[in-house]
Amino acid sequence: MPVNAHPLGISRIRVVYAKRDALRFTGHLDLQRLWERLLRRSKLPLRYTQGYHPRARLNLASALPLGFISDEELLDFWMDEWLPLPEIQQRLTAVAPPGLEIYSVQQVDMGENALQVQMKASEFVVSFYDPQDILELNHQVEQLLNQTTITITRRKKTYNLRPLILDLETATAPDDAAILRMRLKAEAGATGRPDDLLETLGYPNTAYLVRRTQLLLN
Amino acid sequence: MKAKSLQERVEHLLPAVTKPGRYVGGELNQVVKPWESVQTHVALVFPDIYDLGQANLGIAILYDLLNQRVDVAAERAFAPWVDMEAAMRDAGIPLFSLENKRPLADFEIIGVSLPYETLYTNFLNILDLSKIPLYSKDREAQHPLVIAGGQAVFNPEPVASFVDAFVIGEGEEAALDIVDAHQAWVESGGSRQDLLLRLAQIPGVYVPALVKVDYHPDGKIKTIEPADSRVKLPVVKRILAKLPPPLSRFLVPNVEVVHERVSIEIMRGCTRGCRFCHAGMVNRPIRERAAIEVMEALTAGLDQTGYEEVSLLSLSSSDHSEIIPLIESLRELLTQRQVDISLPSLRIESFSDELMDGLQSLSPGGGFTIAPEAGTERMRNIINKPLRDAELMDTVRSVFEHGWKSLKLYFMIGHPQETLSDVEAIADICKRVLHEGRQIAGGRVRVHAGVSTFIPKPHTPFQWAAFDDPAAIDAKLALLKDALRGSKIKMTWNDPRASLLEAWLSRGDRRIAPVIERAWRKGARFDAWGDQFRFEHWESAFAECGLDPDFYSFRERDLDEVLPWDHINVGVRKSFLQEDYRLSLSGGVRPDCRDQCYACGILTAFSELRLAQPGGGWKCP
Repeated sequence: MPVNAHPLGISRIRVVYAKRDALRFTGHLDLQRLWERLLRRSKLPLRYTQGYHPRARLNLASALPLGFISDEELLDFWMDEWLPLPEIQQRLTAVAPPGLEIYSVQQVDMGENALQVQMKASEFVVSFYDPQDILELNHQVEQLLNQTTITITRRKKTYNLRPLILDLETATAPDDAAILRMRLKAEAGATGRPDDLLETLGYPNTAYLVRRTQLLLN
Repeated sequence: MKAKSLQERVEHLLPAVTKPGRYVGGELNQVVKPWESVQTHVALVFPDIYDLGQANLGIAILYDLLNQRVDVAAERAFAPWVDMEAAMRDAGIPLFSLENKRPLADFEIIGVSLPYETLYTNFLNILDLSKIPLYSKDREAQHPLVIAGGQAVFNPEPVASFVDAFVIGEGEEAALDIVDAHQAWVESGGSRQDLLLRLAQIPGVYVPALVKVDYHPDGKIKTIEPADSRVKLPVVKRILAKLPPPLSRFLVPNVEVVHERVSIEIMRGCTRGCRFCHAGMVNRPIRERAAIEVMEALTAGLDQTGYEEVSLLSLSSSDHSEIIPLIESLRELLTQRQVDISLPSLRIESFSDELMDGLQSLSPGGGFTIAPEAGTERMRNIINKPLRDAELMDTVRSVFEHGWKSLKLYFMIGHPQETLSDVEAIADICKRVLHEGRQIAGGRVRVHAGVSTFIPKPHTPFQWAAFDDPAAIDAKLALLKDALRGSKIKMTWNDPRASLLEAWLSRGDRRIAPVIERAWRKGARFDAWGDQFRFEHWESAFAECGLDPDFYSFRERDLDEVLPWDHINVGVRKSFLQEDYRLSLSGGVRPDCRDQCYACGILTAFSELRLAQPGGGWKCP
C-alpha cells in the first residue's frame, strides 16, 4: 500500500486514455455512461453514490466535442479498497471497448480538486480532408490573430473566442499536408472550441478532423 | 488523388448529422469478420433507427447465432434518420452495414425484421437506399435474397411482393436452414427460381412468388393456391420445441438507445387467450425457461455488458410457474450488484401478497402497471379477459397498500359490441382507483390512464371484426377526456389515424403492396413516429391505386370468407377462432388454458415435435 493511502483503503485513481475510431462519435454524456459500464465490467471495488439509483463515482476532465479524436483524456474514479496499479490497468484494459485505449493509471491524492477545476487548456491538431495551401492558411491564421474580438454564437449564446486562443499556428504533417495546431483555454466558463475557430476560418465541420493531443492542468 | 472509401465518405459527412454514433458501429461485443473469410454474408436489418433497432432482442439473437458459424458473417443495418438519409442520397452513399461498412447490395442475404406494420415504408426505403429492386419479381441473380420475419408477417400478404421469402414463426433454426439452402444453391449454380424452390422446402418458410391468389370481383379472395406442384400449403409456422439458452452476449452501444439492459425472455407464448391479442394467439404454445437458466444468463449478461438494468420479457410474467423463486433470486442479485430490475406484463389475477412483496422490494419508488383493457365486466368477458370489478379493486388496494404511489392503467376502446356506457366505466374505474389510492397512500398518489384503440388482428378470434368507426372513436375519446377533466388523472391516447393505418395494413392482402409503394414515394416513412406520420400520403395512395381502404378496416368479414392469411398456419385452427368469436358474442369466456385445454389446435399441430424433443417446459395440460 502506498504511503499516501487512505486509512480505510479508499483510493482515487486517475486513468489516462485515448479515444478514437468509432468512439469519436460518442458524446460526453454517453461517454460517462460508457465509463460507468466499463468500470462495472472490470469488477473493481468501485465506490458508489447513495440513493435509489447508485452510480459509480467518476469524474471526466473535459468534454471532448463530438467527432474529435483524442490522444490524451483523463478520468478519475474512486475505489473502496486498494489494489496494485498494474492490476487495475490490466482489468480496465481487458473490458475496454474498441477505440478506447488505456495508457496508464495512477493513484492521486484524495484531496485534489476535481479534474474539471484543474483544467487550464487543451491542445489540438487539425487535419483537413482536402489538401490546403499552407501559405493561404498562414494568411488566414494571421488575420484571425490580428482581431481583438471574435464573436461566436453557439446555442443562442455569444462569446468572444479571441482571448481563449492561447496559441494558433500552421504546421506540416509528415505527409506534407498543411495542418493547424492550437492551444485553447479550457477553464470553467471559458472554453474555446476548435470547431468554432474553424468555422470562423470558413471550414464546415465536414471538412476536417480534430485530434486533441494534450490536456493542461493546473 | 486516391478515391475515398465508403467508410471515409460516410465519416466525412457524419459531423453534419444528428447523433452520428448511430452510423459507425464499433461497439463492445460487435463481431467483425474479414469480408473474404466467410462464404455467406447476412445483413440483419431493423427498419427503424439504431436507437430502436439495436435494442431489439430478435436481431440480437440472430446476430449471435449466425456469427457463431465460421462460414457466416452477420452484420447490422438500420434505417438512417431523415437528415442522414438526405445526406446519403445527396452524396450518393448507399445504405451500408455497421461492421464492414459494406453496401447492403454486397450481401448474399438480407434479413429484415418486421415486428409491426408501420415499418413497411421504412423497409422499402431501405431497399431503395441499397439500390435493390423493390419488387421480388424484379430481382436477378446478382441481387441479395430478401428475407423477412417478425410478428407482423404472420400476415405476410401486404408486403409479399417485396419479399423473396418469409420466415413464419420463430427464426432461430430457420435462419440457419436458409443459410444452408443458400450455400447449397450457390454450389449447384442454379437459377434464382431454383433458390426460391429450395427455400420453400424449409419448414416455416413461405415464398410468396410460388403461391397464387385469385380474387372475386368484389375484392374478396377466391382461392390461394400453390403456383408450383412442389410447394405445399398451408405454411406451418416454425417453433422451437425447447427454448435455446438465452443470449448473454449483448452489444453495448456507444450512444444512447431505448433499452440499455440485459433482456432475458423467461417464457414464450401465453395461455390467457385474450381475444384481441395477436401475440397471445400466434406465439403458442407456452414454453418456459427454468429460473436457474434465467438467472445464469442475467449474471453472465451483466458481466459482459456492465449494464445497470435487467429486464425479464414475456407476455405474462406473473404466470411463470417459478415467478416467486425468480423474484427471490432477483432480490439477491439486486443486493449483490447495483442494478434496476424491470418485470413488465404482469396479470392482475395472478398477484399474490407474496408476489407484491417481492415486486415492491425489487423496485422501491417505481410505478405499477395493470391492464384491465375494458371498463365493465361485460366487456371484459367479451374480450376474454374476465375480471370482476371487485377483484380489480382488490388488486389496486393491494398495490397501494404495498407502498406504490403511482399506478398506470391500460385500456382499449373500440372493442366489438362496445357501448358508450362501457367507455364511461373506464373513467369511473380510474376515479375509483384514484380515490382508493388516496385513502390508502395519501395525496401523493398518481393515476395514469393509457387508452389505445382496438385493432382487429389476423389469427385472432376478432380477425373478422370491424375496426371501430372514426367518428365513434372520436366520441369515445371525447367522452373520456371530458369525464376525467379536473380529476387529476393523467390520460394519454393513441392517434386514431395511426391506428387506422395499422388496421388497413394488418389485415391487408397482396393488393396493398402498390399502396405501400405509393405512400412511400410520396414521402411516407417512420409511420410509427408521431411527428413523421403523414396520414394524407396514405389516403391519397389508396385513392390513386383505386383501392377502398374501408374494405380492409370497417368491413366485418363473413365467417366463411377466405382470409388473406388463410394459407399461414400458426397452429391455432380457424374453426377454433370461429368458435371463440361466436362465444364472445354471447359473453362466454375461456379462462387460462393451462388449467383446461380448449383444443385450439396447437398440440395437434406440433405433437410430433413435442414428443421428439421432450423437456421443453410446455405448459399445455
